[in-house]
Amino acid sequence: MQTLTYEFPADRPPARRAHVGVVGSGDLEVLMTPANGAAHVRVRTSVDGFDTVWRTVLERFFARHPVAASFELNDFGATPGVVTLRLRQAIEEGRA
Amino acid sequence: MTSTTDWAARLERTSFIELDARARAAALLDDGAAYELCGPFDRIESPWLEPQGVVPQSDDGVVVVKGRLGGRPAVVIAIEQAFQGGGIGEVSGVKIATALSLAARDSRAGTTTAAVLLLETGGVRLQEANLGLATVAEVCSALLELRALAPVVGVIAGALGCFGGMSIAAGLCTKLIMTEEGRLGLDGPAVIESEAGVAEFDASDHPLIWSITGGRKRTRTGLADELVADDVATLRSAVIGAVAQGVPAEHRSQRIGELRAHIEAARPSEPPDLAAAGGPPMTRGRAWTQALADGGVNGGVPSVISADVTLGEDLARILTVVPDPHSPYHRARRGEVGLREGLALASEVTGTVAEDAHLPDERRRPIIALVDLPSQAYGRVEETFGIHQALAAAVDAYATARAAGHPVIVLIVGTALSGGLLAHGFQANQVLALDDPGVLIHAMHKEAAAKVTLRTVAELDELAGRILPLSYDVTDWARLGLCDELLTVENADVPTERDVGRAKDALTAAVARARRGPRDLSNRLDSPGARRTRTASRRVREALTAQWG
Repeated sequence: MQTLTYEFPADRPPARRAHVGVVGSGDLEVLMTPANGAAHVRVRTSVDGFDTVWRTVLERFFARHPVAASFELNDFGATPGVVTLRLRQAIEEGRA
Repeated sequence: MTSTTDWAARLERTSFIELDARARAAALLDDGAAYELCGPFDRIESPWLEPQGVVPQSDDGVVVVKGRLGGRPAVVIAIEQAFQGGGIGEVSGVKIATALSLAARDSRAGTTTAAVLLLETGGVRLQEANLGLATVAEVCSALLELRALAPVVGVIAGALGCFGGMSIAAGLCTKLIMTEEGRLGLDGPAVIESEAGVAEFDASDHPLIWSITGGRKRTRTGLADELVADDVATLRSAVIGAVAQGVPAEHRSQRIGELRAHIEAARPSEPPDLAAAGGPPMTRGRAWTQALADGGVNGGVPSVISADVTLGEDLARILTVVPDPHSPYHRARRGEVGLREGLALASEVTGTVAEDAHLPDERRRPIIALVDLPSQAYGRVEETFGIHQALAAAVDAYATARAAGHPVIVLIVGTALSGGLLAHGFQANQVLALDDPGVLIHAMHKEAAAKVTLRTVAELDELAGRILPLSYDVTDWARLGLCDELLTVENADVPTERDVGRAKDALTAAVARARRGPRDLSNRLDSPGARRTRTASRRVREALTAQWG
């Protein structure tokens, strides 16, 4: 298990917090809480050694969706596609 | 044959199985007022997973939603099967037990509150072994408390099914609703194969598995009540119907005679190979029972013996499961708690409660569960006839005795594993154990636990050294707050006169404490040990109670 933290510039806080997903095989859980000034991401992943992949996936996501919030990701081996899908679900749920 | 209309219905239905736990709870409850308790943003995670390199989940895999069912107050407790195989750990277990207790509190106060358990679980979460096992005992106790006041409806929809200690909880439910996809059994196929070999149970043979544990079979043989299609609307109306029926006069786990008739109708085959039974049989149970007994030792069946022992002013009843090398159930010959033993314990305890019913509460006889047992019986015959229901009968009887004022004391003198301990001993209001290297208390044998958690035995030993609930050491176990006294003895195998005296003194003191203490298992969270090691349990209880409203 590895814990990774990232921060990306973001200026659009969500209307409300959101929770999606489950810590199950090939999936992950996302907890999103509104914050100010940036997207703070903490990833706990069951698969070690993918720091760079995580950075790339998250960088790309937050460049497109600059949502200012704290994101807690509990990951059980989700692929980049699933990670992006869950993050999009979270910000959709966070809309007013 | 499947008719055309069946296909049309099949295509039009909304699958319940495909929903996650949170969506299942929402799908069952009435629209509107439902709200979740101890949800993800409360962040009460398991404190034991991260130190083992396992990613936790923010709700620990149990979703508790309070609301209404067909207009009646209800709480839905849904286990998330995708997280750790629905395994019950400290936090998830206490969430279930506390929600059931709170529903009982409301029901006593006049607001009858039903509970619905969505059971998709492999049983005790092996990464939290001993604490998981303890919380399953607490779940059973709280379920029985509520069941007397309001219906507790179990739903096993699948795909995972309901196994391990939680199958005993299923056996205690007022009503049990299953789908064809759902399964119910004490020991999962892989565990039986690992414990007893592929000849006993082939875990890759899916038709075999469903023919024994599947929803269709369980409803046909009366171990479940209703078989429904995997459809949200159908399940919701079945659950509302079950809740509307209220509390029956008698529950499945109390119908010991019916269960016995069911089991005795079969003739278990002679075992193919006795040598394969493995390991030495348990001998301490008989030795300690004989040493403590005032007079003779009796038994309705050869594998469950009883005796009377004078403890101060009380005459207490000792019950012990012992090996019976001639048992027709070849997987229950070495002192395991099997079909016969579960029912015999239930009969003995129920009999004692009936005999003392005319006495004032404080004069009711203490019941001593003396424990040296390798485990529950892992076998095909056992699963076919629903060993979980036999064990549920024993759990029911012990908890009923405790609630009626009988001090129930467990004295662990040797091995106490898994479902065996849940059925025989873990409903006690006082827990005693010998401080001896031969005492082993755990959720599963090391080899099988290693296999299930994808670890080696060496890795498991290393983790057990630093993760308290994983330890196989009795002094570590006592530190979890589950033990009221550890007894030092001179000879745990053949007790000396001094050992017998010590044990009698300790039992007498335990009886006095039990009479003074609560009749539920709430003291398990309030002991000095629990205050140190079960901080997560206490946090759950506090938060859930505060949010319950």
